[in-house]
Amino acid sequence: MSYPAAGSARKRLTIAKALALVVVGCVLLAFPFIAQNRYQVHIINMAGIYILISLGLNIAMGYAGQFNLAMGALWGVGAYTAAILNTKLGVPFWLNLPASMVVAGLMGAIVGLPSFKVRSHYLAIVTIGLGEVINIILVNEQRLTGGADGISRIQMPSLFGFPINTDERYYYLILAVVLLGFFVARQILRHRIGRSFRAIRDDCQAAKAMGVNTAYYQILAFVISAAYAGAAGALFAHLNTYISPDIFEFSSTLFIMTMTMVGGMGSLVGSIVGGLALPVLQEYLRVIRNWQLVVYGISIMIVVLFIPGGVMELMRRLKSSRSLRWLWSSHSEEETFQPEETNVPGN
Amino acid sequence: MFLEIEGLTMQFGGLSALKDVSLFVREGEIHGLIGPNGSGKTTTFNVISGYYKPSGGKISFQRRNITGLPAYRITATGFARTFQNLRLFKSMTVLENVLVGMGHLAKTGLWQEILNPIAVRREEKGFVQKAMKLLELLGIANLAEFPATSLSYGHQRRVEIARALGTDPKILLLDEPAAGLNEVESEDLRETLVKIRESGVTIFLIEHDMKLVMGMCDVITVLDYGRKIAEGSCEHVSSDPVVIEAYLGKEEHP
Amino acid sequence: MNISLFLQTIIGGIGIGSLYALIALGYSMVYRSMGLVNFAQGSIYMVGTYFGIIWYMGMVMGLHVPYPVALVIGILLNAVLGVLLERVFRPLAKLDLMFMLLGTIGLGFVLDNLFIIIFGAEGFAVDSPLPNAPLEILGVKVLPQMLLLIGGSALLMIGLQVFLKRTRSGKAMRASAMDNEIASAMGIPVNRMNALTLAIGSGLAAAAGILAAPIVYVNPAMGSAVGLKGFAAAILGGLGSIPGAIAGGLLFGVLEAVSAGYISSSYTRGIAFLIMVVVLMVKPSGIVGEVTVEKV
Repeated sequence: MSYPAAGSARKRLTIAKALALVVVGCVLLAFPFIAQNRYQVHIINMAGIYILISLGLNIAMGYAGQFNLAMGALWGVGAYTAAILNTKLGVPFWLNLPASMVVAGLMGAIVGLPSFKVRSHYLAIVTIGLGEVINIILVNEQRLTGGADGISRIQMPSLFGFPINTDERYYYLILAVVLLGFFVARQILRHRIGRSFRAIRDDCQAAKAMGVNTAYYQILAFVISAAYAGAAGALFAHLNTYISPDIFEFSSTLFIMTMTMVGGMGSLVGSIVGGLALPVLQEYLRVIRNWQLVVYGISIMIVVLFIPGGVMELMRRLKSSRSLRWLWSSHSEEETFQPEETNVPGN
Repeated sequence: MFLEIEGLTMQFGGLSALKDVSLFVREGEIHGLIGPNGSGKTTTFNVISGYYKPSGGKISFQRRNITGLPAYRITATGFARTFQNLRLFKSMTVLENVLVGMGHLAKTGLWQEILNPIAVRREEKGFVQKAMKLLELLGIANLAEFPATSLSYGHQRRVEIARALGTDPKILLLDEPAAGLNEVESEDLRETLVKIRESGVTIFLIEHDMKLVMGMCDVITVLDYGRKIAEGSCEHVSSDPVVIEAYLGKEEHP
Repeated sequence: MNISLFLQTIIGGIGIGSLYALIALGYSMVYRSMGLVNFAQGSIYMVGTYFGIIWYMGMVMGLHVPYPVALVIGILLNAVLGVLLERVFRPLAKLDLMFMLLGTIGLGFVLDNLFIIIFGAEGFAVDSPLPNAPLEILGVKVLPQMLLLIGGSALLMIGLQVFLKRTRSGKAMRASAMDNEIASAMGIPVNRMNALTLAIGSGLAAAAGILAAPIVYVNPAMGSAVGLKGFAAAILGGLGSIPGAIAGGLLFGVLEAVSAGYISSSYTRGIAFLIMVVVLMVKPSGIVGEVTVEKV
């Protein structure tokens, strides 16, 4: 099984990958200067916030198979925690960020409790229901949350006296948090926790037989996803300086679910792709107003029916399609694996 | 006694799946559980491994009462099992499947996973080494990186066993490990199981393949309609008229 | 405690509950026969309401169709929609829950927004076909329209039971729902049965909407809130179970009415959902129990 030209092809591939990473890195760092106006930076900032929530949803649903459809509400919990702490007690952003994650995480644990007793169809509606309950509380507890009017005049953060008060400056803050979130997620999912999550998703009973404490990991999945939503909430509250309950309604959960699916459920990179693509697309479609949502709805249906694995699946299909193979290998045998091994006896 | 089951009863609604079954497995044994279809063999396994809470009776392992414990705790006590219809984790490779079982042995907690990646990686390397050794024992080390469900049936069966061994068990419950295997594969299985026993793992298996059972088991327990009807060495059981009647009776009166 | 006020609240709850029950029936029947969770049901309800009400309100070429006729037209048109939708739902039913949900939600979006484009986002109030003065029965004040809603719903539900138990098509539908493969082997066209189920589910939703229209404000967004609650009601009763859907719907409506009247109107929705969550934790398959389908 030797491929004479494999070495050089592989080298070419790694060089290409490295180059791509460098280019992407430069674009990321220079983006606010490349952008045409402040509004574009703001869109990307919002995309970054959505990416964070989508990462959380991906961990819970894509990896652990847990239907956490309260993500929008948990995002709200994070945002309101930061908003209340800041406007009522003057707590700065840097403390609000972890605080939001903790509070949202706790709420996530509560939302996840039914997952022991209740299976997927039902878990979906239960988490939606609990999300609704959270939203209703946010609207109704006037004294604490300002009710339907929301909370305004949230202070933008500052770093050792340097004010982060423009979209451009905030961009780097979001970039840092998203990158951190991505790498932490990757690290967690790589080893025992990730495997336990996937085992639960693939076959819960078998997982238990292998010693996996499924209850613990299920709650963990909810808590982690909620913490991501909480962090996104704090970021959003301090960016927007104003929050109101309607932002965190079920429609936001749908938006996040869609972007995660379009990017690829079960793939962290998919969350980044989807999280970037959808808000940006939404901006482009804004011109057609009501038709926008019709197009949106039709697109969801097309993705669901034809490319359920999202963009990441599309890429995988492209990768293994023969016609495009010339792009990255000189030897057509290189990337295919052969699962022959039919009846190989003995050791 | 290693594994002691006393007066085990299991009722599903009005149906009695197990009636007052008592048996014990000695350490280092290869113990067989046989009986016609529907006699309650898999139910016994399911109760022992913690999927069902028994309606009555007691299960002790190494003198500790494990009756009614949740499945993952029972695994932690030293049990591992395979399933009659393969239940491999479809999204994972062969190696990953085996690694799942080692999760409960891990010493690094959640915070270390995030903050101390070096310790985690070191532990992971240890696990991978252990897993590869298990795969070698079962003759499938070269298939480690393949998606588990892309393998042939016979190989998937081996992955099931390797995966169960990954939990570092003291006793291995095998539910029809020879189902669907041909002569050659069954013989390999027998050899592998003997090797596993030699490495210090007690084996308790359900099987229909009489050749395999008779050729390997030290003790055999026979169930019929949820009751124990015979127990003893292979010769004793195979010549027991009650046992023969139970099997033959099923053939004559369908 | 004021008894007549309490009874009034209960009756209001039964009224709204009847609406939820009819919608929940759509969910349960489709789930049972196709294994599909149809999150577009709320939108179908909205569409059906428009299909009927536009004739009644003179929005089609100025014709003012009598209410009962408009009701029938609405039901029939929506039933046709249901049959057409079967084609779309067929591939969706085979998918994992997550994709199924999103796919049907996408469909719902399309319907909702098409109707916003056609009719505008502003809704309108519907004149009651019956006199507006509340009737007084045993000291309890009831709107005639409420009685119409409850009565009409009850008739429809009874009609459904008769259809399922006594007619040949009904029995064929039940057979198909129990086990697609066996039914197919017996010569029952499963896809056609599914289309029939969807037609009935959509028809019932239309009826619910048209009967409730004079009480509820009609606008293209009316589907989403009701849709979610209808689903919650179906689950509360046990997804797939027809008596469960009815029980769940009525219970949900009464719970809402009672909590709105006696606890806090703003927390109404929250309490109803919370109770659903609690019930599911205690009995995970719903009050009556889940009924699943053996798919081919």
